[in-house]
Amino acid sequence: MTFLATPEAAAPLNLSRRGLLGAAAGALVLGLGARPAASQATPAAEAMPNPFAALLELRADGTARLQMPFVEGGQGVSTALAQILGEELDLEPARLLLECAPPGARYKLPGAPRVTGGSSSVRTSIAPLRRLGATARAMLVEAAAIRLEVPAGSLTTEPGFVVHAASGRRIGYGELAEAASAQPVPAGVTLRDRDKFRWIGKPVARLDVRAKSTGKMVYGIDLAVEGMLQAAVQHAPRYGMEPAEIRNEAAVLALPGVHSLHRLPGAVAVVADRWWRAHRAAETLQVAWREAAPGAANAMPADFSTRALRDRQQAAPGPGITAETAGDASGALKGAARVVEASYDAPLLAHGQLEPPSALASWNAEAGTLELWVPNQAPDMYLPVVARAAGIAPEKVTLHSPPLGGFFGRHFLYEAASPFPQAIALTKATGRPVKVIWSREAEFLRDAFRPAALVRFRGGIDASGLPVALEAEIVCDHLLNRTFGAPADRHDRTVVEGIANKVYAFPNRRVAHVVQRSPAMVGFWRSVGHSYNDFFMECFLDELAEAGQTDPFALRQRLVEKSPRHQALLAAVAELSGGWKRGPFTAPDGSRRARGIALSSPFGTEVATIAEVSIQDGRARAHDVWVAIDPGSIVNPSTVVEQVQSAVAIGLSSALLEEVVYEHGTPRARNYDGYPILPPDQMPRVHVRIIESGAPMGGVGEPGVPGVPPAVVNAVFALTGQRIRSLPLSRARFGRVS
Amino acid sequence: MKRLTALLAILVVAGSGAWWFATRIPASPFDGAAPAAATPLERGEYVARLGDCVACHSTEHGAPFAGGLPMGTPLGTIFATNITPDRETGIGGYTLSQFDNAVRRGIGADGRRLYPAMPYPSYARMSDEDVRALYDYFQRHVQPVRQANQASHIPWPLNMRWPLAFWNLVFAPTRPYQAAPQRDAAWNRGAYLVEGAGHCGSCHTPRGLAMQEVALDSSDPRYLSGALLDGWYAPSLRGDPNSGLGRWSEEEIFAYLKRGRNRHSVVFGSMMEAFNNSTQFMTDDDLRGIARYLKSLPGDPARDGAPWQYDPATRTALASPATLAASPGARGYMARCGTCHGADGQGRGEWIPPLAGASSLLAPDAASAINITLNGAGRVVAGGVADAYRMPSLRNQINDREVAEILSFIRTAWGNRGGAVTEEQVAKLRSQTNPASSDVIVLQMR
Amino acid sequence: MDLIVNGVRHTVALEAEMPLLWAIRDELGLTGTKYGCGLAQCGACTVLVDGIAVRSCITPVESVAGQQITTIEAIGEDAVGRRVVEAWVAHQVPQCGYCQSGQVMAATSLLKQIAQPSEAEVAAAMTNLCRCGTYNAIAAAMRQAAQG
Ligand code: FES
Ligand code: FES
Repeated sequence: MTFLATPEAAAPLNLSRRGLLGAAAGALVLGLGARPAASQATPAAEAMPNPFAALLELRADGTARLQMPFVEGGQGVSTALAQILGEELDLEPARLLLECAPPGARYKLPGAPRVTGGSSSVRTSIAPLRRLGATARAMLVEAAAIRLEVPAGSLTTEPGFVVHAASGRRIGYGELAEAASAQPVPAGVTLRDRDKFRWIGKPVARLDVRAKSTGKMVYGIDLAVEGMLQAAVQHAPRYGMEPAEIRNEAAVLALPGVHSLHRLPGAVAVVADRWWRAHRAAETLQVAWREAAPGAANAMPADFSTRALRDRQQAAPGPGITAETAGDASGALKGAARVVEASYDAPLLAHGQLEPPSALASWNAEAGTLELWVPNQAPDMYLPVVARAAGIAPEKVTLHSPPLGGFFGRHFLYEAASPFPQAIALTKATGRPVKVIWSREAEFLRDAFRPAALVRFRGGIDASGLPVALEAEIVCDHLLNRTFGAPADRHDRTVVEGIANKVYAFPNRRVAHVVQRSPAMVGFWRSVGHSYNDFFMECFLDELAEAGQTDPFALRQRLVEKSPRHQALLAAVAELSGGWKRGPFTAPDGSRRARGIALSSPFGTEVATIAEVSIQDGRARAHDVWVAIDPGSIVNPSTVVEQVQSAVAIGLSSALLEEVVYEHGTPRARNYDGYPILPPDQMPRVHVRIIESGAPMGGVGEPGVPGVPPAVVNAVFALTGQRIRSLPLSRARFGRVS
Repeated sequence: MKRLTALLAILVVAGSGAWWFATRIPASPFDGAAPAAATPLERGEYVARLGDCVACHSTEHGAPFAGGLPMGTPLGTIFATNITPDRETGIGGYTLSQFDNAVRRGIGADGRRLYPAMPYPSYARMSDEDVRALYDYFQRHVQPVRQANQASHIPWPLNMRWPLAFWNLVFAPTRPYQAAPQRDAAWNRGAYLVEGAGHCGSCHTPRGLAMQEVALDSSDPRYLSGALLDGWYAPSLRGDPNSGLGRWSEEEIFAYLKRGRNRHSVVFGSMMEAFNNSTQFMTDDDLRGIARYLKSLPGDPARDGAPWQYDPATRTALASPATLAASPGARGYMARCGTCHGADGQGRGEWIPPLAGASSLLAPDAASAINITLNGAGRVVAGGVADAYRMPSLRNQINDREVAEILSFIRTAWGNRGGAVTEEQVAKLRSQTNPASSDVIVLQMR
Repeated sequence: MDLIVNGVRHTVALEAEMPLLWAIRDELGLTGTKYGCGLAQCGACTVLVDGIAVRSCITPVESVAGQQITTIEAIGEDAVGRRVVEAWVAHQVPQCGYCQSGQVMAATSLLKQIAQPSEAEVAAAMTNLCRCGTYNAIAAAMRQAAQG
């Protein structure tokens, strides 16, 4: 048994003999994590249940399992991680089984948050994972050297084997696993040269597509355990309200399959043998809801409406909390040749992930332990909250993180917007495992929506038409405060991202966050603040171009003059689209069309987007979207293209269709009929060019989103002369274009 | 000069006579009656169910019978009143006579005439016993709620109420229902319920120029012959095979009123509300009486046309790529509607209604078809249990032209002959209506 | 009533109006068929009834008793279904994958009825929603499967 003593916990630990849960005997198990606090190799420690688990387990059958710190939800992280690890370990990615690890510091990668979000998984884990793979490979080689009685330096590997070229002998990793696990963990390993990569940077096929094409992938909503009951809930119409009288309790209890009724915070649950029976019974419940107690958390007033919210945002007094300043914005505005003022707004948005939320909880009263399966993007954030909800210590909780049927920010920790507290209460109340599924309607009532935002812009241009000053006051909730308790007297960087620190760097600028808490439950939504701010900023930039009588593309070229990376990006997207042409022009099918451009810098990646639109039946339609994306460097080009396709779809959906409307304190739409998401017949062709500029690796999952709404809206302006400053576009009516 | 004076005098006399008439409080059979023994709660509540008082006098989140429901009229919005026994804001101070005058004659305790949105021309048929039971119910069993009534949004001079007295003189009957001796008891009970408390004619009978129902009983062939109200076309309840109940058996009418569904249709629109709050609570005998009575009302072939026949050709056509390519309406149908209602237009059993032969698709007026397509259906609650299936709202997914194309297709498919729908019709209803709530709404009686 | 699912006859005692989806998922334990909306909006619940795509969430189980119901679990037993799956894998269609059982079933139904559908026919038949936006990959896979 050897542990490598590295205080920063950056190097692998050998955990092979710790009797890990799920680790096969004779496996080499390596972990990257904090070194154990207690002395490591005492017999007492040996006898104790292992306090560690491991990231990588190499099995006797030659396969390997990686307990990855992230959860797969369609973004392709499991394949990317398999490519990275396989590359250094020298094992076919397809031989790697990847699962989301349980919570625990031992699964945390050094330097990477244990959160699947912020488009961060690959870029934060590539370095430590490469080291992990290389370390395991070195130990296998050492073990083979002993077995073959040759110097380690005479050995090489090929996928899955250690090879002694001189004698033509080769030994499979599986055979070596046990012996390798006894080897000392090498202190330093050499990594593979970039130009020798076989999998990193290559379009390796994703590992899960077959299972997902044949219905074999098991999602949280599909899980079942012995003796399980199922539950559905009727939520209070508004947050904060609590169930009072249930008028038809006896009648509902008598419905087929119904096991029991439970009053929960803000909800009444029906537990039954089958979910649909529980669901129907829950819908049938006639609950009298008591108004929220004074001071109740998240209480939603009965008169809240999104229309009034927008008016209040418009009226919210500045100047707000400064997020970025340079020069003297107000002075420069006074001296500007022209000043343009505009206010833009974007609505609350639902996540609309296709898998409705669920949670399966199993309480063991004797042991005082809880096993919980819940879709989540952050097991370590969930764990203490789950434990608190169950009234037990975190060690008593086994938390599983199943693959996600879409997430887009839905499964961060929003305790009041997740079914797991209900599942915990119900398993404790019934003494049986209980799976709670939220109906689509229950989900639309309880999603944590993307906050609504409004910006007040003032921009000044000089006599040559170049913007010289920008003032932006973004009126929005404080997401970081509400979700993570960040100080509310400092600006929320997620609320200003996309406008603050923009590459254009106007010489005089002031960007501020006017904090205005809205009673709606809010959360992170794919590309977060960029999802609205890039729309605001890139459309307003087009307004400045219009005022200065410059072409919007040419203006952006001028504004990024000092950044070769952005110049290349603009050139790439122009070339990809066949050369910049704004239009309007007549397409081969006879329709009138125009194009719009947007530049955005989300999550460490640079993106330029061009969209081509026409107006059909008074509605905007996007035909083609060209995206040049520069994440610095990449792991899987086909995943990057797929993520851009996906991002364009959701970005366009938000531009054209999506809006959560509240009236009388409740969201009006409760299903996809009232809240349409992009259907297939509105999907544009998407053309992607990946640029690897060599800059530090940026994200991929979200960056394709924010450029789409402004590119589309700018194109609509070029085509119709109508400047849309409020999304979605479906609210606007467009006349015939000529 | 003399003649002028005489004319003036006549006018003054006539005018004051008219004024007296327009503000007088008529006699009630209950005038001076000694308070009778209270009727049992169930009896009074049952009459309130028959009259469906709750549907108008309660709101989803308000207290039972406290009023406040806005109702659109051609003159402006009016609000249903508080009919809880609160003495100040409700009807707690009403004597039985005053209550009777309000229910059966449309006259408030202060002599003010009620808008005939209150169906007193039908309630006039109610028996004295039923009115007394209703009075007892509201006075003794409904919780008093202090909630001031809201003024109507009808502008002057249309908001003057006294002319309604003349309206009543012409249009409102004054006698309770008189049994037809040549008919059996079930029929008479049905007639009493339909023409009286059930006030079916309020929706199903066409209205005249003065917004009056053109007929109030079975003696007139226009009675219950179908009408447009509030964005819904209430079909004929007569023997018309296409736009009415001609193809429905008595048993099927009974099932519809009892369970909200039968093989022809599922309740929707305003009928869903009438079912949710009223008809399903009626006794089987009463419902059979209604079915018997309705089946006795002859149809009008001149108006209704030749009886509908199922035409299987549509089904075949929908399977042909050529048809779909040529017809945007057929394409839209298959994409938006076919998955539930089927290429054969037959729906699924009693759960998803057929479109083939549905009265809303055979009737000349397309309002109901447009309305439910745009706004979807509210929730049917039968026997206290929420429905398993509901029609979604398509207003956010398809535009006016597409709705018109799809409905024009549906209204001419499978032998339907309702005819085409125009984009303008759809646009108009879109602007006047809202999507149905997907919440299960159960109005409470106490 | 009798349900014939993937060639196996099951005798079940269920409410007549229970949606087929929940009979399949909860009663028979076949969870490849997904619940997305319960309102005929998304298509995640698509199965075949006598070879035709049906949204099982709005199909009362009573109405398909005795008919041949095929779910994604049996997709490999159908020649067209196998071709569709291979095209899906070749074009790397699924992302989160949640909608894909329904997409594969809808595609299989179309290709069983029209071996070489036109673009317009594909568009008319493939209306299932995908929040991950895999629509272009689906269209490409459809082209391949149609040629197969
Ligand atoms: S779950 Fe059936 S269509 Fe969405
Ligand atoms: S692949 Fe995620 S919803 Fe379609």
